[in-house]
Amino acid sequence: MSGLFWLASYPKSGNTWFRMLVNNLSAADGPADINEPPESGGGIASMRAPFDFTLLIESGLLTGDEIDALRPRVHELMARGGDAEETDGPPPPFRLLKVHDAYGPAPNGEPLLAGARGAAGAIVIVRDPRDVAPSLANHHSSSISEAIDFMGDPGRAYCAQPHRQPHQLRQKLGRWSDHVAGWIDQKDVPVCLIRYEDMVADTAGELARALGFAGRPASEAEIARAVAQADFAELQRQERATGFAEAPRDLGEGALFFRRGEVGAWRDELTAAEVSRIEAAHGPMMRRLGYELAGAASLAPTG
Amino acid sequence: MQFYRICGLSAASSIELPGLEPTAPVAAPDVVIRQDETPRRLPSPSAEWPTWQVQDDQLLLDVPGIVRFHLIGGREIVFEPAAPAVMADVPIFITHTAFGIALQQRGAIALHASAVAVGGKAVMFLGPSGAGKSTLAAALAQRGHAVIADDLCVLSRDGAGAPSLHGDGAQLQLWAQAIDRLGLAGAQGPPVRPALQKHHMATPLAAAGPWPLAAIYALREARPPHRPGIERPNVVDAAVLVRRSAYRSLLARAPNQKGLYFMAATGAANTPGVFEFTREHDFARIPAGLDALAAHWAQLRVLEPAT
Repeated sequence: MSGLFWLASYPKSGNTWFRMLVNNLSAADGPADINEPPESGGGIASMRAPFDFTLLIESGLLTGDEIDALRPRVHELMARGGDAEETDGPPPPFRLLKVHDAYGPAPNGEPLLAGARGAAGAIVIVRDPRDVAPSLANHHSSSISEAIDFMGDPGRAYCAQPHRQPHQLRQKLGRWSDHVAGWIDQKDVPVCLIRYEDMVADTAGELARALGFAGRPASEAEIARAVAQADFAELQRQERATGFAEAPRDLGEGALFFRRGEVGAWRDELTAAEVSRIEAAHGPMMRRLGYELAGAASLAPTG
Repeated sequence: MQFYRICGLSAASSIELPGLEPTAPVAAPDVVIRQDETPRRLPSPSAEWPTWQVQDDQLLLDVPGIVRFHLIGGREIVFEPAAPAVMADVPIFITHTAFGIALQQRGAIALHASAVAVGGKAVMFLGPSGAGKSTLAAALAQRGHAVIADDLCVLSRDGAGAPSLHGDGAQLQLWAQAIDRLGLAGAQGPPVRPALQKHHMATPLAAAGPWPLAAIYALREARPPHRPGIERPNVVDAAVLVRRSAYRSLLARAPNQKGLYFMAATGAANTPGVFEFTREHDFARIPAGLDALAAHWAQLRVLEPAT
């Protein structure tokens, strides 16, 4: 059985923080370097290298749809470690592969990520979309209003620019609600659903639960170390000191990838109109995930 | 047939290969490129991957919906377009995919690299697709360096054992953004595929090689913790950089290829030297990168220092 698990989320939902926690499980000599490759092999599902390396075809010469047609083959290979450039030593027993792609079909109808042939399961992280929006705006160097548009547009994708070769393969994202639904409602692989808010409230408990799901049990000492060493303040400290390799290239001067990471910061970052737009667009999924809507309360007549 | 010279080999092709300079006919070309039916599979392949399979000196490669290749002993490249309508999509996969694999079948050290001429020698830029090999070569061409290769180089030794290089002799290929940002709209040729905004460029090409090799640079983006600059890695790391830049590095780990690339990589790491060239992926920073290279060439005595 594959030791590869997807760590799937819409962008800015805690995916990177989770990976930093995992990186620190066995970092006995102090906090793991945020720019060092992790113990679990790592990477993102949309990397170009495994595609080009295994198929002998340059993804840069293909269209987005031609690439999507071949991605299931690449994910089958990744699940078996077939993308390893060096063959010395055994493949890692546990591999966490970050995914931002929406869970959906390739052009021929099969799952883009190869379903159960691509991974043994998915740890899916979700976050209150009202907190995603300002974080996404920071990430995109856009306004919050534009970030809300982005989250509500079914056609949005990363790395889809036709006039240059983006550093990763195209990742269709779609609407925030559909992205979450796609991942938690798919029946191909088991899901461990984690809310970012629960990760903040009980980091150790949620981390242990997810690792147990992924068959990589961790000792209490490892969990405690990870929680202490991948503390948000520590991640920010490192980013301020050295920069973060995964941050967007065009992040503004002084802006941080590890921005706030707080739960409920939307209350001081969003206008009432912005809150209403998000809730109008994503209310049903927010309720399903247990995010209480402010709209009804704020719109209720006073007095 | 149309005739070309690619990486030091003569090639006869039944279709025109855009981006390459035609040559006079030769009686016995090293490589023949022709359209014909290709087998669906090889009788008993020793390796089978989703898009390709290998048996002895034969390799089948399927670029789905576009073209199938049957590569025989590095001597024949048989191609079968998936449909008449995609014929215009085929040539780029001959020059930028199949030919490099054919070179590896012939036991050549084929590297994924661009190269330009500097002071009568060649400098080579290694890097995976998207690393900026062509853009860098284009920017150097704007400073007067003739282009030796866009995507594929063969590393060898001359009679005296000195490292030398044969380039693909192909015009550079640039994406629309690079053409715009480098101000090269006037040199823009046809797209490499009708559906892509990536174009052949009318670049001044260097004379056919072999070229004495002055330096090898592995391109790296300046992302934390790596800062812009040129550094010389130790020989072991340098050899890994070269080996991983094999044109199709998965094929280069076959038993008969592994030793070959290891020897070449170790040799190259010693002479002329492999360097990691770390620079920002920002068009505005290209001149700074070119200046760093020029200073390095002066230091290596490939070029006289700028006065």
